[in-house]
This record gives sequence, C-alpha cells and structure tokens, in this order.
Amino acid sequence: MKCTATRIFWGAALLAAGLAHASSAGAQEPGLTEKTIKIGMFSPLSGANMAYGLDVVNAAKMYYNKINKDGGVHGRQIELVIEDDRCNANDLVSAVKKLVEQDQVFMLNGGSCSAAAVAAKDYVVRSKIPWVMLNASADGALYPPTDYIFGAFSISQYAVGGSVVDFGKQHLKAKKIGYINHDDAYGAWNLEAAQETAKQLGVELAVESINANITDVTAPLIKLRAANPDTIAITTYAKPAALIIKKAYELGITKPIVLTVTGTANLSQLVENVGSKDALKNFYVQDVLADVPGGPKIKWVYDMYKESYPDLAAKPDHPQAYMPYGIAPAMSVVKALTDAGPNPTREKVAEVLRNQKFDSGVMAGPIEFGPNDRAAQESTIYLKFDGSQQTLIPGSFKSLWKYKG
Amino acid sequence: MSDKAAAMLSRSEASPPARWTARSNVSPARIGLLALTTAVLIFLPFVVTGYVLYIANLLLVFVVLCLGLHLVIGETGQFALAHAAFYGIGIYTSGLAGNAFGWPFPMSMLLAGLIAGAVGVVIGAVALCMRDIYLALATFAFGEALQWVFLNWDKVTGGPNGLRISPARLGTLEILSDKQAYPVVAITTLLMLLLTILISRSRLGRSFRAVRESEVAAMAMGIPVRRAKVTAFGLSAFYAGVAGSMFATFSTYIHPDSLGFQTTILVLTMVVVGGLGSIAGAVGGAVVFGLISEFLRQTPSYQEIIYGLILIVFMMYAPRGLFAFIHDKAGRVFRG
Repeated sequence: MKCTATRIFWGAALLAAGLAHASSAGAQEPGLTEKTIKIGMFSPLSGANMAYGLDVVNAAKMYYNKINKDGGVHGRQIELVIEDDRCNANDLVSAVKKLVEQDQVFMLNGGSCSAAAVAAKDYVVRSKIPWVMLNASADGALYPPTDYIFGAFSISQYAVGGSVVDFGKQHLKAKKIGYINHDDAYGAWNLEAAQETAKQLGVELAVESINANITDVTAPLIKLRAANPDTIAITTYAKPAALIIKKAYELGITKPIVLTVTGTANLSQLVENVGSKDALKNFYVQDVLADVPGGPKIKWVYDMYKESYPDLAAKPDHPQAYMPYGIAPAMSVVKALTDAGPNPTREKVAEVLRNQKFDSGVMAGPIEFGPNDRAAQESTIYLKFDGSQQTLIPGSFKSLWKYKG
Repeated sequence: MSDKAAAMLSRSEASPPARWTARSNVSPARIGLLALTTAVLIFLPFVVTGYVLYIANLLLVFVVLCLGLHLVIGETGQFALAHAAFYGIGIYTSGLAGNAFGWPFPMSMLLAGLIAGAVGVVIGAVALCMRDIYLALATFAFGEALQWVFLNWDKVTGGPNGLRISPARLGTLEILSDKQAYPVVAITTLLMLLLTILISRSRLGRSFRAVRESEVAAMAMGIPVRRAKVTAFGLSAFYAGVAGSMFATFSTYIHPDSLGFQTTILVLTMVVVGGLGSIAGAVGGAVVFGLISEFLRQTPSYQEIIYGLILIVFMMYAPRGLFAFIHDKAGRVFRG
C-alpha cells in the first residue's frame, strides 16, 4: 500500500516537474535560444522597386555579420530570415506573417516602402512584436505612436517636406517655394509638414501634386512658372523628378531646384535621364547621411560593403544610393537587444526601444525615440550637385512639424 | 449565325428554364476532387499557421474575383477591364460601413456587393454601344478614374493615406485573426461558387453564352441581348464587391495603390490561364497562380523571369487553359 502511494507520489512529482519544464519551455520567447536570436527582415528584393531595398538589406546584413564575428549579442549569434515584400501591401503582410508565425522570429527589422508597410501595422501591434523598420518612412504606421513600431531611420516624410522648406528659407533665402509632390501617401505627408514649416517661417508655397506615373510634366511646370517662385522643391520619386528637371531646363527656368531624398536613389541614372548637365547648374539634393556618399565620416560603411560583397560592389550602380540607410536600423536592433539584457523578451526590447537614443555616426542626426515619437531621424543635409561632383552645404536642416496627437 | 450559338440556344429551349437539374454525367473523379477540396477547406485551420491561412484567405478572395470576371468575360464575352475598381468599391463600402456604423459583416458584405453591382449595371448600360477593344478601353478608363477617386476623395477614402478598417464584427464577435476570418471567407466563397454554377446552368447562363457566341443570333432567337450584357456586368461587379468585403474581414488597411490596373490584369491572367469560359478554370487559375506568385516570392532574383516563362509555357501548350489541358490529358490516360 505504502509502496503504491510512494509510486503515485513520485509519479505525480515527475509529472509536475515535466509540466513545469514544459510550461517554462512554452514561456521561452519565440526565436530565442541559448545561442541564437532570430530576426526577420523584409524589403523589396525584386522588381522595379528593388533599388529601395536590396542594398539596404545588404548593409544591415553586413552589420549583423560584424556583430556575430565580434561574439554576438550577450553570446547569442544573430540569425536572419529574409523575405521579399515586393513593395506591395499584400506581399508585405504575407512576408511579415510568414516570419512571425512560420519562422517564429524574435523581432522584425524590415520595410522599405511606406504605403505597403502601413498595411502590417495592426497585425504587428496585435501580435506585440517589436518592429524596427529599415528605410521606410511609413509615417502612417508611426503616427499615432504605438508601443511596438519604430521607423523613419532614414527620415520621415514629415521631416522630408519640412526640412526642404527650411533649407529653401535659410540657405536659398526663398520667400516663395514652388513645391511639387506626389498625390500619394508620401506626398500627403511631406506636404503637411511643408505647409506647417512654411507657415511658421513665413514662406509662401505654390503646390503642384502629380501622379507618380506621369509622363508629361509640362502643365504643372508652366503653372509653377506662372507662380514665379524663388526656388522649386521636388519631393517626387526619381523618374518624375528627372522629367521635371529636364522640362524646367527646356522651359528656361533658372531658379534653384532642390530634390529631396525620395528621388535620389540613383544620381548617375538621374543625370543620364535629364540628358544635360546644364540642367543641373543650380541644383541641390537632400540627403540624410552624416556626410557625402563615401565621405570620410561614413567611409567605413562603403569599405565594409566592398569587403562583404566584392562581386556586387564591382557592378555599376552599386552600392545603391540608399545602401548606408540599412546600418542605423541594424544598430538600433543590436543596441536594443544589448540593453534588454541577457534574457531579453519582446516586451523588454520594445520598452528599451521606446526610450532609445544614440548617434549612429552614419545618419545626419541622432537616432532618437520618445514618449510620443517613433520617428528615429529628423535631420537632413544638402549637397550641391553639378552632375558629377557633390559639395556639402554646411549645417543641417529640420522640419518644424510636430505630431500633436 | 454561328452553329455554336444555335446549338446553345436550342438547348436553352429544350432545358428546364432557370432551374438547376442534377446531371448524370458528373464523374466519380469530379466528386472525389470536390470531396477532397471540401475536406482540405474544413481541416485547414486546424493544421496550418496563421500565415498559411492568410494566404488561403487571399486566394479565396481571388477565387471570387475570378468567378466574377468569368461571368462577364468567360461567359458573356464582354472584355471588361474594371474589376479592381469594383473590388475597391467593395472594400471601401465594407470598411466604411464598419468604421462609421459598426455594421455586422454580413450586412456590410451585402451592401458592398449591391453598391458595386449597381455601379456595374450603370457601367454595363453605358458600355452597351461598345465592343471588343473599345469596350476594354472604356472600362479600363473607368477603372483608372475610380482609382483616382479613391486616391483623392480624402474625407471618405482616406486618400493617399489609405483607410484603416475596423475589425469585422458580428454581434459581440470581433474578427481579429486570419483563423477567425477563414470560416467567413471560405463559406462566402463556397456560396459564390454555388451561385456561379447555378447561373451558369440556368437560362440566364445560356443566354450569356449565346451572346458571347453571336449577338445577332442570340437576338434572332429572342434573347434580350442588352439586358443579358447589363446583367453580366452587374453580377460581375457584385462578385467583385463581395470579394472586397471578404478582404476587409481579414485585412485592416487598404491603399488605392492596391486597386490599380495591375490587380485587374492579375485577375484576368488567372481567368485566362485557368481556362476562359470554365468555372473550374477560374477557380483553379486563381489558386494555382496565387500559389505560384507566393512561392516565387521566396526566389527574389529570378521571380519575374520564372513567372513570365510559366505564362508563356501555359499559353503555348495549354492555350485553352490549365484545366482544359488537364482534362484532355486525363481523358487520354483513362481512354488508354
């Protein structure tokens, strides 16, 4: 009898121990083992929008590889699972759901296309997974702020539009700015900040909103010329930007033209598409890096790229212009994992991110989040570009737009 | 008068009107396939991840879109290229009904279908005087115009910021995951499939096909061609509206970028490659091409080339569609 009771007792104890073990194993954060931590990346890696993502992912990858070579984060090696989001909302959501539910990643580091990235917002917030974007500004996912989504490491669209007005006013002394934006999410966001900044600085805006697939820009440019602005700010993508610059030259518009970072993915292609360097005599480009591409402050990034991807670096147009933008988000992820301690949870990492502040040394301004702010980077620099040489304009410029809640 | 149209019309006279009768020629293979499909649909949520269910939901939305396009192009022969616009009407109607009034999803789904269908009837009536390439261009223009409306009617659609859609609800139940949405999407798809089969086997379906084969012959036989065309447009748009509402049960955001010509072309490709004029082709085309597209996402460097090659191979070796091809091959095997 006693023997039976003892057996039952030990059996129950073993069962309880087993259940406790199973429950602790169940409590283990997804994507986390003693030796590894799995991070899900996604970006456009194919198709027409590849220039926005391929080398950005490559830059983040080479940074993570460096961290792994240096011993990883708290002894854990970073494992990457990479998905193509095709810059398309449905595909991006597919990629995110696959990473989270099938690949069981610990956190997300991806997104290069704003409108597509916004589609994953609700799912990520509901699933409570920290998401550090790559170079998507995705303002629609950052405002109103959530506890789990962090982005705009290159810049937010609100900062793009506001800062170009600041540059026009401060550096070019413009009183009236001809402002060309897209009639899409990007355009709406940057225009909102441009209007707010213009209001605060006492600058008048003449706005022309165009479709991203426009093939003839004569009408909007003639209207802008009639408005007689002191400078023209272009916040479009690269293709319409080339059309606008070319047509402005043909129409004899000699006022300074400033192209924001939305259209600078491939400057050599832009020069080719514009057709004449004379069209670029009074031309400026916005950038969000700490230095001119390849300049001394960020040379290490370009050197690391050449070392990591010798074959790709040998190809023309590589690294792509946005390549260095992948570094700051990867730094943010590594720093958050480090600061969350040796036993990170998704909640701990998200909490650390919400108060993160550091200088990447790669971007124009500090990476900084706050209680009401999930946009990492808000500063821009400007370069005078004559078709071959880029000359840095001293100082950095900021949008005056603030999220009011 | 074409022989095909005459044969179709004479059959339409001989068949019981507007009533589906069980056919004796339903093969065991078809019944087996149907049973297998039903079993897969029922057990899917118990064995796969949320990601797979999201893909399944998306594929089922495309199945309904393809069924709608099948009615107007495959059955009636009207080359309409505005399907994404009707789909968009469905998404926005359903989303706005949920956001503004908290309507339960069956009501918003019905409303989405009816509004899209009503717009489809209007477009169908306008398009009566056009055919072939002119009809294609006119409906294409309508699709583009509506995308412009989605993009610029900020106060209603959210414009370029897109529209956030409240989770679909029924009473106190709120659909917050793909798993919860799946039964709604799957059952709606089955209902729409059943409706398509009923239409196809009814007098209305036969009149659609008669119009497709020869409008003059159909008219000579007393078929109201204009009414048939407008009805086909309306029904097709109704399907697209319902598909939009299905999408809104598991997706919480819509941006006008997703409602362009590219979406119409994708659905058209699915219908044509699956087999123009065949319900199985429309369903199979949606599933096969949806899956191919998702699998190719895993091979970023070569996906465009592989997708293009697959399309070319299909068009070269299976010009009547994937399912006609399979049917022929299977028939030869069974005949020895």
